Amino acid sequence: MQTGRLHRFYSRDAAICYNQSVMREPIGLYIHFPFCRRRCNYCSFVSYENREPDIPVYLECLKREISLHAGRTGLKSIYFGGGTPSLITAGQFSELLHCIRQAFVMEQHTEITVEINPGTLVPGYLNDLRSCGVNRLSIGMQSLNDDELRLLGRLHDADEALRAYRSACDAGYENINLDLIYGLPGQSIESWQQTLNLAASLDPRHLSLYCLSLETKARLAEEIEAGLQPPLDPDAAAGQYELAEGILEKRGYCHYEISNWAKPGYECRHNLSCWLMEPYLGLGASASSYLNNRRRTNIACLDQYISLVSSGASVPAEADEEIKGDLKQAEAIILSLRLEKGVDIAGFNHEYGIDLLDCYHQRITELEELGLIRHNENSLLLTPAGRLLGNEVFWRFLPEQPV
Amino acid sequence: MDQKSIRNFCIIAHIDHGKSTLADRLIELTGALRKDKIIQQVMDSMDLERERGITIKAKAVRLSYHSRAGKLFRLNLIDTPGHVDFSYEVSRTLVACEGAVLVIDATQGIQAQTLANIYIAMEHNLEVIPVINKIDLPGSEPDHVMKEIETVLGFKSNEVLLISAKTGQGVPELIEAIVHRVPPPAGRSDLPLRALIFDSHYDDYKGVVAYIRVVDGVMETGAKLRLMGQGTHLEVLELGYFAPGPTPEDRLEAGEVGYIATGLKSVKECRVGDTITLASSGARQPLIGYELPKPMVFAGIYPTQADEYADLREAIEKLNLNDASLTFEPESSPILGQGFRCGFLGLLHLDIVIERLEREFGLSLVVTVPGVKFMVTKTDGEKLAVTSPIDFPEPNEIQKTEEPWVGISIITPSGFIGALMDVMQEYEGLYKHTEYLGQITVMGEESQRVRLEYEMPLRSMLTTFYDSLKSRSRGYASLDHEFLGYREARLVKLDVLVNELKVDAFSRIIPPEKAHDTGKSVVAKLKEVIPRQLFKVPIQAAVGSRIVAREDIAARRKDVLAKCYGGDITRKRKLLEKQKEGKKKMKMIGRVEVPKEAFLEIMKLG
Repeated sequence: MQTGRLHRFYSRDAAICYNQSVMREPIGLYIHFPFCRRRCNYCSFVSYENREPDIPVYLECLKREISLHAGRTGLKSIYFGGGTPSLITAGQFSELLHCIRQAFVMEQHTEITVEINPGTLVPGYLNDLRSCGVNRLSIGMQSLNDDELRLLGRLHDADEALRAYRSACDAGYENINLDLIYGLPGQSIESWQQTLNLAASLDPRHLSLYCLSLETKARLAEEIEAGLQPPLDPDAAAGQYELAEGILEKRGYCHYEISNWAKPGYECRHNLSCWLMEPYLGLGASASSYLNNRRRTNIACLDQYISLVSSGASVPAEADEEIKGDLKQAEAIILSLRLEKGVDIAGFNHEYGIDLLDCYHQRITELEELGLIRHNENSLLLTPAGRLLGNEVFWRFLPEQPV
Repeated sequence: MDQKSIRNFCIIAHIDHGKSTLADRLIELTGALRKDKIIQQVMDSMDLERERGITIKAKAVRLSYHSRAGKLFRLNLIDTPGHVDFSYEVSRTLVACEGAVLVIDATQGIQAQTLANIYIAMEHNLEVIPVINKIDLPGSEPDHVMKEIETVLGFKSNEVLLISAKTGQGVPELIEAIVHRVPPPAGRSDLPLRALIFDSHYDDYKGVVAYIRVVDGVMETGAKLRLMGQGTHLEVLELGYFAPGPTPEDRLEAGEVGYIATGLKSVKECRVGDTITLASSGARQPLIGYELPKPMVFAGIYPTQADEYADLREAIEKLNLNDASLTFEPESSPILGQGFRCGFLGLLHLDIVIERLEREFGLSLVVTVPGVKFMVTKTDGEKLAVTSPIDFPEPNEIQKTEEPWVGISIITPSGFIGALMDVMQEYEGLYKHTEYLGQITVMGEESQRVRLEYEMPLRSMLTTFYDSLKSRSRGYASLDHEFLGYREARLVKLDVLVNELKVDAFSRIIPPEKAHDTGKSVVAKLKEVIPRQLFKVPIQAAVGSRIVAREDIAARRKDVLAKCYGGDITRKRKLLEKQKEGKKKMKMIGRVEVPKEAFLEIMKLG
């Protein structure tokens, strides 16, 4: 273990921040794997095709980054995201986790999540991951309609996705999340209902439902632009969202965040950290950290990340900003509103030394008149209409001047 | 310089036929500027003008030329605006010249403004030298164009020169022709001073700089002068000529062209067309009658953000220093707030002013549907000049309405006659006459060209007319128009209501028969460009209290970031910040947020 080694950071202040924060409360750890076998048609994440040969070198870089941050910090959660983390072998995961355990202090029930692409599973893989200590899986199911899966450019079909879930159960995982996408071009409410019902009937502990959103460079966006696919229909998507809310409530799920449902007690701890503005460290290309009121994002370019880290330099930042004052309040409000329990008024007032209902009175009144939020003596909350039109709520809380 | 060795001339042409390139070439060949110092089209010194290929401000350049016979000549080249909107300025410029080089594009032949310009030149008895330009281009048909010039303009082929302003071919011969065919200026230095102001320009340091042609007498630095039309007194702070940069000089004699710096505060004090004479013992008769240019097209200009009104006012005032034909008056609208009702010489003038306000002064503007000036006689006998739909009286108060009419001249290959007749009918044109011109090759085939003469209300020309004309003739048609006078009209006011609120900016005055169709297209367009709000928005078009068209914009249901995790947060927040910024640029109509582009789109509708 290499403790106390401080390389050149983005700024000296940032270095001090990191060093200090490392000593305080337990954090979440995020690790990014920007590798994919094939890019999906809707993807706008940082990921690279045909770079799997670089995985071993990348992992070495990760280990170096881990050692840079080593200290007596506890980990509340670890999240392996991507790209396609399930391209990493169980053996490689084992080494990585070993390195992490050396560098940090694991808690008794540290949530360790790996994102799984059903199209990349080999027999025994999930079992081996379990042996390394992985205790939560997030399966990228997206749809259980083969036509839709083809439209999305996924590597797997519906059967493979279902089998992946069963393998996960067989391997002893209890805490499993399924990712689904609605609002697809031309998707009917019936098709969505079928996918959702089938997925829910598997009784996963957690479901993440995302409305399709496309950046201009996504392949699917270009197809729509060229008239090859029908355009996205936000009204249909709204109907699909409301349908999901109804179905999942009946099935006993707690709609704890705008896009996330969980059986009680199975909320994703890692993501909750983000929404509650708790500290987390991000490692790997394009990963972000939020430590000591600074949000910092690692460089996204894979080649630069590898060459700089392997040559002993520190990881350069693509973005680095201080979150304080009005901006911090705005983010706290926006993120908390995404949660079902909303903003805890007393807690907010205590943290920021102000009276929330008073300071934001005009905006709150305007939004309440629009029917998008409501409040009681304890909390400020989104209404059902507000969940659908969240952006209209969120931008109003942004501070006037850039911080 | 001996007066007999001076030649004052200008270049006249239809747009893009090569006037500015020829000016460059003349400047280069007479050595006024070395080739490497010539930036493209030297005489167009404002960016906007260079982009549109048109000149607004006339400039004058003194060129020196040794003829082939060995004599030294002074050529004063005066550049002219080519567009009919500025015909007043064109005609003033022509008075300052004895000759005009008429440039005709060898690939296009005579076009509408070729004719308009040559008519004015002939009215002023100028010696016209026709040249066929662009003979270097593959599509050039000098033989056809020559025939056309002979038939339509009455010149003999040996009077017409063939040139390429771009390569310089034939240009030396042109300069010789100018020297031999354009007469020297008449006028006498021993008579009392008379100088014509053919253009003016405001300079922050020198005040108004007047471009002058000395007809009689002598102009000297320090002279105390008087404007014969306006009565303004002024002093010559600086005197000089352009070569092409300003070059001070002590005196300019009869026949000369140059400039004077007056120290005056605005071009309105020193108007084009006026005659300058000495303050004491000056001349008796001015050179020409001069009149104030009359604005024909009116529009309301408002700042997108109400707090930028002061900036807008300052900008218009500054622009006005240099643009005497722009008129403006404060105006206010319940929806748009405080703004100005501005008068322009024509649509081109309007486009140019708007673009300058936006570009040079960095303003974000909302412009109402352009309109003409109506003369309304009310039932109580009162006569009103109405330049804004807001001021149009109620139907029951109107005894008679009159509107300006224009004569239209369209030159087109005969194959498009049918399509253009349709266009003219759509835009309320009345057919007058067809004239036959020469031949030209259109899309690989020989084609007869014609000139169609129509009359139409100026009102109909103001929005999509020109574009329709161009697109129905595949760009081959060219257009000119002139004011004919006022005629009686039956008209109503079409109002537009957004969320039940009347929006003055969208009101327009139209014939009652068009109310339904215009209403439908305006309403449909608004539905397209106004984004969905958080509530349903009805859009209606009405005449008085009668609704003639209606559409509803459904309320928005979904607008939320699906994912918001970890590193994403900063990026997602920036998206929200952009959304927030976007709201600021919206114009509010009651509770409805309307992007600035929406106003422009409605303006463009016929």
